[in-house]
Amino acid sequence: MMLARRFSWFGFAKALFLAISAAFALLPIVWGLSTALKTPQEIAAIPPSWIPHEATLINFHRGVFTPRFFNYILNTVYVIFFSTLITLGLAVHAAYAAVRFRFAGKRLMLLTMWSTIMIPAVAIIVPLYQLAVACGIYNTHLVLVLVYSAWLIPSLIWLLEGFVAAIPRDLEEAAYIDGCDVVGAFYRITCPLLRPGLVAGALLIFTNIWNEFILSYVLILSDEKRLVQVGIYNFMTDSSIEWGPLMATAVGAIVPILVVYAFLQRSFVRGLTGGIVK
Amino acid sequence: MLHATFWPSGTAAVRHLFFLPSLLLVGLVSFVPLGYALVQSFFRSKYFAIGRFVGIQNYIDLFTGDNGVGRVINTIIFVAGSLAIAMPLGIALALALNTKIWGRDLLRSILFLPWLISTLVAAMLWSWLLNAQFGPVAATAASLGISFPSLFTSPSLAMPTVVVVSAWYSYPLVMVFVLAALQTIPADLYEAAQIDGANALQRFAVITLPLIKNTILVSLVLTSLAAFNGVTLLFVMTGGGPIGRTETIALKVLQEGTKFYRMGLASAGSIVLFALNLAVTVAYARVLRGSHEGA
Repeated sequence: MMLARRFSWFGFAKALFLAISAAFALLPIVWGLSTALKTPQEIAAIPPSWIPHEATLINFHRGVFTPRFFNYILNTVYVIFFSTLITLGLAVHAAYAAVRFRFAGKRLMLLTMWSTIMIPAVAIIVPLYQLAVACGIYNTHLVLVLVYSAWLIPSLIWLLEGFVAAIPRDLEEAAYIDGCDVVGAFYRITCPLLRPGLVAGALLIFTNIWNEFILSYVLILSDEKRLVQVGIYNFMTDSSIEWGPLMATAVGAIVPILVVYAFLQRSFVRGLTGGIVK
Repeated sequence: MLHATFWPSGTAAVRHLFFLPSLLLVGLVSFVPLGYALVQSFFRSKYFAIGRFVGIQNYIDLFTGDNGVGRVINTIIFVAGSLAIAMPLGIALALALNTKIWGRDLLRSILFLPWLISTLVAAMLWSWLLNAQFGPVAATAASLGISFPSLFTSPSLAMPTVVVVSAWYSYPLVMVFVLAALQTIPADLYEAAQIDGANALQRFAVITLPLIKNTILVSLVLTSLAAFNGVTLLFVMTGGGPIGRTETIALKVLQEGTKFYRMGLASAGSIVLFALNLAVTVAYARVLRGSHEGA
């Protein structure tokens, strides 16, 4: 009897803790969404209300569905596309080599690769900016593609190594017997089997670049080349700040990530936790 | 040995070609700027011209100059504060989500949400949420008769506020990592312990904790490095203010390099940041290896 009662108190405390935590997690998001759905009059009202009296999509019209914001989205998608191509293309080969090949200097090369994860973006952002100017690629999407790819490749190799190691060697060996060389076996046998890993990797690349702010803020100057996050920041610092459209763009920027997460949750979490916990 | 028999016919060149392009790109974008920062940190550089050689003066200025000591303290408070909230919260939520509860999947998704939101948007949402003039929290407090302080302009409250926001987007990573680790623990371990008469607390201490210890360590390192290197939140919410109370080393590097264009000072800060990242990662690798040997 005692035991049962104590247990239920524990359960109650747990539910309360989860509820408060969920409220903490949701609070700013709900507020952003609520503001984005309000009319300009209601946004200006003091005291502000938590729930809009009449919901409107006008802020989305004026914030998200504008040529300017659409251009930011286009730029971001463009940069993500080429970064994904380069990052996955290079990382899948490197991960395969790291797991399956023996070659001269492998230890040193792997060590060099891993050591780069100890260099945070903020530590090289200033020289990157200077070097980009010196090389004449400052304020181009090319510099973002190169920097983003270099930033993401080590984590992608790490992620894909796990997927490569999970593929039985017998499959490749069978291909060798059938006359495939090492390159042929990699493209014909291994790569198709790595598809789940590549999907998880692509998601990781997409979310990281979509949400990245500081590098693209420093490396891109002109408004017509800006990516989404910097575009939103600029709306925010505009002198004529309009909270409704601004919150609509903020909410709008969350949507693609949410959609991706909702549909591919398992790949997503696998990409996030990678090799740490299998 | 079977592998040796059938081992690929590819030449050494092919094997190197698989790995080298990645290494080349990553090395180029990482080590060249780092080397450039190292050289520049010994010169009094402004804008793009490398100025005169000043030895370690930039490093001295970084720590003794205007707000030098305060900046170090701020960095420590920001990292330690983020950890102090995010770690217990993340671990507790993982433990709670690992039990049979109603609406578990939905709860997990909701609790994971902050991680999906960009730091910029998070900083923006919180800034307005907690705004003393127009924010809803202040309005709700006022309607209850409580006067809500201006958090971002208060020298004593600005840091705790940014720490809470930092913890808000840091805890989901801890939660997901620990939850994934918890789910790998086989249920029969607990059943066996229960048969042996171990109570819930003992089961946690003897089975759960040792098995999630390394995962906790990993998320601890990732979370602290993220706070340590994070600039977006501070850049957007406070810009280091008021009176430099939320200015961290990382933010100083960004501001010196992209606002004041004192590249020498910024580079010295870059090298300090890198050295600390290196130290944390090496220490962590040591500890992790030690715990593997102990196990």
